[in-house]
Amino acid sequence: MTSKRFGVFIACILTWWSLSFSPRLFAQSPVENPPSQPSTPAQAQPGGPLPGQDSNQRPAQPSSLPGGVQPGQLPGPVLGLGSTPMAPPSPPTLKSGPPTLKVDKKDLDNGGTITVTGKGTPGQPVLLEVWSENDVRTSFFDSKKDKETGNIPYILYMTEAMPAYYRICVPSSLKGKLEDIKKQGGGWSYSQTLKDLGADAAYTIPGKIKIDRYQATLLGSIVGSRGDILPKMDDKENKKRSKQLIKARFRRPGQVLAPTVEIKPDGSYTAKVNIPDGAAPGKYYIAAIGDNHLRSEQITVENKTVFPNIYMPNAGTSLNIFWPFLLTLAVTMFGVLMGAGGGFILNPLLISIWPLPHTVVAGTVMPTVAFSQASGIYNYSKIKFISWKFGVVMGLAMLLGGFIGPKLTELITLDQFKFIFGWILIVLAGLMWWQTTPGYLDKNKKEQAILKEFKKRAEEAAMAKK
Amino acid sequence: MIVNFWGQEFRVNIILGCIGAFLLAIVASMFGFGGGPFMVPLMTVGLGLPMYVVVGSSLLAIFFNTVIGSTRHYQFGNFDLVFFLVMFPAAILAGFIAPQIAKRVSPVWVKRIACIGLLILALNLLGVY
Repeated sequence: MTSKRFGVFIACILTWWSLSFSPRLFAQSPVENPPSQPSTPAQAQPGGPLPGQDSNQRPAQPSSLPGGVQPGQLPGPVLGLGSTPMAPPSPPTLKSGPPTLKVDKKDLDNGGTITVTGKGTPGQPVLLEVWSENDVRTSFFDSKKDKETGNIPYILYMTEAMPAYYRICVPSSLKGKLEDIKKQGGGWSYSQTLKDLGADAAYTIPGKIKIDRYQATLLGSIVGSRGDILPKMDDKENKKRSKQLIKARFRRPGQVLAPTVEIKPDGSYTAKVNIPDGAAPGKYYIAAIGDNHLRSEQITVENKTVFPNIYMPNAGTSLNIFWPFLLTLAVTMFGVLMGAGGGFILNPLLISIWPLPHTVVAGTVMPTVAFSQASGIYNYSKIKFISWKFGVVMGLAMLLGGFIGPKLTELITLDQFKFIFGWILIVLAGLMWWQTTPGYLDKNKKEQAILKEFKKRAEEAAMAKK
Repeated sequence: MIVNFWGQEFRVNIILGCIGAFLLAIVASMFGFGGGPFMVPLMTVGLGLPMYVVVGSSLLAIFFNTVIGSTRHYQFGNFDLVFFLVMFPAAILAGFIAPQIAKRVSPVWVKRIACIGLLILALNLLGVY
């Protein structure tokens, strides 16, 4: 019988499907607890920077290289150089003063371009650091093998304080370099980019945000806990991890770096700072960083968003709400027609069109369908069209799965999210295609006839009771 | 397990069903979709139930997943209220409009179009173009 064969086929697809992504899941959720020591605030390491010396001021220092090992330092995740104080942005003992800073306007409506002018030391580059007062939650799961020890750390880094908008403006002469980095695609490294562009000095604000670390375990992931919280990182480690979080939040080099500072030979500069119309409302701060890491006073610019642009605090983006409304309307309508919830199409579209985190998209789309499901259940239950025993038993199995799934969402990156979702959609397309094959349609016709008959009887029975 | 439905009895391999439902729920809640289009084939093809038993019961089963998945996402701070309030009315509105359109279009063609659309979207997600 063809239908039986098809059953086997579908079972194969489902098995393959669950297997083909499970290694991916296991790559994320630890099989065992790596025997890594938590990074302790380091004692003075031979070869480390001298106490009081500012590592920030020596960008070529090997200790600031990711994965770099100090001579004499033990291999392993002893990353801290706790004795090194966090760079206070402006060491004051220098002849030339910090760059000056002026803006052409202090109020913005739904974003806009601010022209910044000022004067720095002749012949020296000027950098601008721009950040917003509004912050968002960002997380990053470190499951990359440590090159030195071969251990996979399985640590979830999470912060509530990532600026919703963050950008460093670098001299326009670096445009070519930045373009090269953009060409690297998803594999770019933010900390390497900062170093290559000589923009390390401008990176201060996100380096100090509070970051929590959780040691993920397989068991923990199953019961849906984030794992044990690890001790606070020292400043240097915090700064290093904050750069990975920056990448997790802003994704592309063009989002966090702009080669817009035009510098004249006499040291004066102009820069255009663009706050896009999707940016968060509230205060924006701009500071200029010049020669010898001298930092100007920061200037505050106020951005207002006007209806229909509304800021979504968890997503960290403001949107013209009509677009997501229309998109949801169109997609869920189509979803009803094709017999699937809209989530399949809505989720990938939302993450592709707007800079929304995949966790927020998944977590917000899910409850939107709850109501229509509930009303469907109510309608079917009125005509006694639900096998409660069967539905509840299956539902309990789903309850367990649904408990675990949301935990896994934050353990995967956006790219992994897209990759797995892509395959899910291909399987779904296969199912849809199968439902248009003549064999299926034939069977379906009969079933629909029985379904109608049953419904009629059920409705009559319900009426008769009244 | 024996499922009674309007006087008919169906023998069901509930262990297979529960494993399938469990795995499906993980994926569905992870990626934030309902899972109906996978649940229905699981119940009809995998468990051999006829369509008329499945329509209501599958909805009940995935409702469990939606509720717990939403709760967990909320716990993890993945829920954005403003965004929800934008999408929710649209979803409700669609629930009223769609059945009106459904009467006028052929479901087979809708599925064929969906099939192509899904493939295009999938290739986009996989970075093919």
